[in-house]
Amino acid sequence: MEFKIGDLAHLLNAEFVHSLGNDSILIRIDGKDHMLKLLKSGSDEFEFMLDNTFHHVKVMSSSSAEAKLVVDGQPVNVKKHSKLTEVLEKSSGMAGSGGGDRNLTSQIPGRVVSLAAKPGTQVKKGDVVMVLESMKMQVAVKAHKDGSIKEIKVKQGASVARNDILAVIE
Amino acid sequence: MKMSKISSILIANRGEIALRVVRACKELGIKSVAIYSDEDVRAVHVKRADEAFHIGPAAPAESYLNMNKIIETAKAAGVDAIHPGYGFLSENENFASLCEKSGIIFIGPTSKAMEITGDKMKCKEVMKRAKVPTVPGSDGIVEDVEKAADIAHRAGYPVLLKSAFGGGGRGIRLAKDEKQLRQEFEMASAESRAAFGKAALFVEKYLVKIRHIEFQLIRDSHGNGRHLFERECSIQRRHQKLIEISPSPVVDQKTRERVGEIAVRAAAAVDYLNAGTAEFLRDDEGNFYFIEINSRLQVEHPVTELVTGLDLVKLQIAIAQGEEIPFNQQDLRMNGCAMECRINAEDPFYDFAPSVGPVPSCNIPYGPGIRVDTYLYPGCTVSGYYDSLVAKLLAWGRNFDEARRRMKNALDEFQIEGINTTIPLYRTIMDEPNFVKGELSTDYLERYRVMDRMREDAKEEAKKKASAAVAAVLLQSELVKKAKAKGAGAAMQQKQPSRWKHVLR
Repeated sequence: MEFKIGDLAHLLNAEFVHSLGNDSILIRIDGKDHMLKLLKSGSDEFEFMLDNTFHHVKVMSSSSAEAKLVVDGQPVNVKKHSKLTEVLEKSSGMAGSGGGDRNLTSQIPGRVVSLAAKPGTQVKKGDVVMVLESMKMQVAVKAHKDGSIKEIKVKQGASVARNDILAVIE
Repeated sequence: MKMSKISSILIANRGEIALRVVRACKELGIKSVAIYSDEDVRAVHVKRADEAFHIGPAAPAESYLNMNKIIETAKAAGVDAIHPGYGFLSENENFASLCEKSGIIFIGPTSKAMEITGDKMKCKEVMKRAKVPTVPGSDGIVEDVEKAADIAHRAGYPVLLKSAFGGGGRGIRLAKDEKQLRQEFEMASAESRAAFGKAALFVEKYLVKIRHIEFQLIRDSHGNGRHLFERECSIQRRHQKLIEISPSPVVDQKTRERVGEIAVRAAAAVDYLNAGTAEFLRDDEGNFYFIEINSRLQVEHPVTELVTGLDLVKLQIAIAQGEEIPFNQQDLRMNGCAMECRINAEDPFYDFAPSVGPVPSCNIPYGPGIRVDTYLYPGCTVSGYYDSLVAKLLAWGRNFDEARRRMKNALDEFQIEGINTTIPLYRTIMDEPNFVKGELSTDYLERYRVMDRMREDAKEEAKKKASAAVAAVLLQSELVKKAKAKGAGAAMQQKQPSRWKHVLR
């Protein structure tokens, strides 16, 4: 299952692997295995060791789509994404990783169908920079900020992975 | 003033400062009497005081500001003295006068001294006569543009034109040279005439990149005055102090002695009594200008306590009962560095919107060099009726850097559930490069875009906690699945005892 943390662009892929007994479970986050040892659990509160680090988590609210947590005193919202479409919607709305960043990144793996801008093109936030195709759906990648296209990092027809830099906007 | 031993004190305040005074009373073997409003029945100052009297509804005007009711209560409780804390009635000369008339010692300045310190123009006049440097500008209202130009010329440009009727930044105009002054003066006068029927403007030198530096004062009834060094309070938001530090990174021993002596002179000029603070502005060239005397014990007094080793509340009580200050100026040594963060129940991510309500649990930090003055306890409630200050977190170290690092740790450990606080802002400031260098000014937050930095930090924090957050969500969904399976399993007489039984008990 994919998870979106706060307003971070990077989605975490995480899954339950199996129980190790002795109050421990194995989980996998972005392809890496982690051991979780449960120390204490209440109705809305957990204490556990993740690998060798202690964490205290309070669950403020939780639904099938979203959990509002306080992790070690820090509020963290976790959105659960099980459907790619949801990710795609998010992606076309807000590609890139935040306002200050020059890099326009891909939020989905896919293939570059067409380029709508070239180096030197002036774009406004929300303008279409290129179109990607993934699982037979076409997704417009929009500029995450106003500026001028400094560089297009991909060619038409190229395959891109999630979080690849597609273009640089300055 | 004759000696009159105080054996009981009514504390006309609430929150952490009431608790602070209760503690001093206990040390001295003095009976402490608290007062409380409907809202504060369960407040910690009520629990800690020897006695507590209910004085009215939640609204401050009907409780903590209700002078007659408080005096009546003081008489009924038979106390010798009243400690006003800060805020509420602490700088109200009528209240001080009412205490004097009722034969109750007001632990603070005389009503006469307060009358002068409370009137900015009158106070400035007294200070000028005592040769205390004030912000250069007009002595009073200027009605004539030629006179304004003359004053501006002597004070040096740029200058501010301030309407006598304005306030909160309204009616203030900046003039960079004489030409601009003449233009702005005409417009400001016309505005003032239109709004108030007369032109009343002050001219004042505009100070660039100013720091707010204040000196702690004490003065006894025998005329002995001392300063207890400075506190730098430049980090502010809308004139509200956020962080106070002693010593100031820009005050050396020579400056401390020079300005401290001015502060003591200022206190003598108004025949000040008890603890107070002389506030100065320091410009980028190192000039100090007196602005006002705060005639009360200040919120940030513990900063001074940590670097001097003195207990200011106990000193206040000693002075109030007619004792002489038990040390000379040269006996005082500044030890290390202390800083205070005012933890307010405000959300720094949403324009400092007040955040009130129950606090089901909290973790109050401790450790080397840490002091916390607070009314918080697990299960308490932060009321919307009163000040947003919920805790004062203080750190002491041998030097600025040690104090700063200890503060950072303590901020990380400080957890207050249920409300939003200014803690994230302070965590950002503690690592902000200009703060680390001691580069402070009253516009620090805007100058260095500190709020933006705080938002970036919050994102980074969320990133760091991402794995733990996701792990918790996975854990929770497994627990829910298991609970359901267990429900079904119970029906099947627990046919298959799960491996999860241990994990998810």
